[in-house]
Amino acid sequence: MDEHALFYRSSLLSRTLVAQQKDQDCPYPLTARIHGSSSLYAGSVSKAASLHWTGERVVSVLLLAMGPAAYYFPGPAVDYSLAAALTLHGHWGIGQVLTDYVHGEPKIKMVNAGLFLLSTVTFAGLCYFNYNDVGICKAVALLWSK
Amino acid sequence: CFISLRTFTRQGTCLFRPQFGILCRHAVPMGTTANEEMNTFWAKNNKLNRPMSPHLTIYKWSMPMMMSITHRGTGVGLSGGISAFALLALVLPGNYPYYLDLIHSLSVGPALLSLAKFGIAFPVSYHTLNGIRHLFWDSGKGFKIPEVYRSGYVVIVLSILTSIAAIAYM
Repeated sequence: MDEHALFYRSSLLSRTLVAQQKDQDCPYPLTARIHGSSSLYAGSVSKAASLHWTGERVVSVLLLAMGPAAYYFPGPAVDYSLAAALTLHGHWGIGQVLTDYVHGEPKIKMVNAGLFLLSTVTFAGLCYFNYNDVGICKAVALLWSK
Repeated sequence: CFISLRTFTRQGTCLFRPQFGILCRHAVPMGTTANEEMNTFWAKNNKLNRPMSPHLTIYKWSMPMMMSITHRGTGVGLSGGISAFALLALVLPGNYPYYLDLIHSLSVGPALLSLAKFGIAFPVSYHTLNGIRHLFWDSGKGFKIPEVYRSGYVVIVLSILTSIAAIAYM
């Protein structure tokens, strides 16, 4: 492992690299600017994956906040927010599991389609339950009352 | 597991800095994404019919490993449970209080009832607390090995305590 600091970054960021060479011809530290989309690379990189990652964390934090919200302010607003956040968090979570264990282009497409179907039905079912039945908050309260 | 379409950079030597007169390390983005690299790996190895090296059967299991797979297991289980609930809501004729009374009328003993409640409460509290631990990691904190183990034990203990509290007091 060499002494140089290596940074792996999305190409739209610029970072200062401090490198030290122990060679005789270079006893002083080097600083070189790393440009992601430099003149050496003509194409641009999609931010889709990076935004997806951030989105996952945002939904996680929102879902976390909905715990106390459901406890202190039960009602339709929290019910539908919970339905959306739970479904999306679960959809993205299972998506990561599938990405880890399923390989091969056709299989990946198939299981992701199946997941999309499942998540759609899940969201529909939860909204149906919120509209036509007692709602998620009340359901948990009732379940725990006995 | 970190799977993303993040482009990896590769070391290259840049020669357009003649004033330094020395080779400097410069990051050059590669032409393929992580996803493409992974797919290439699997396609090649499946085509060559290569067996996979043993991994889970030979590595020594550690506490962080077990907590990680438990986080995944509870996540998948909870997600499945929610989907099952949603499907039943769409398919079954009666309403929720009706089915709740039906289950209660089976006169399940208090021990079994507490066990069932624990079976729901523990996955929720473990996944939530370990999830918070994950978010700390995402912010860059707590990666030193002693910290990983310490935070792990805190999550396990708090999960059990909150689950028991949920059963006893609610």
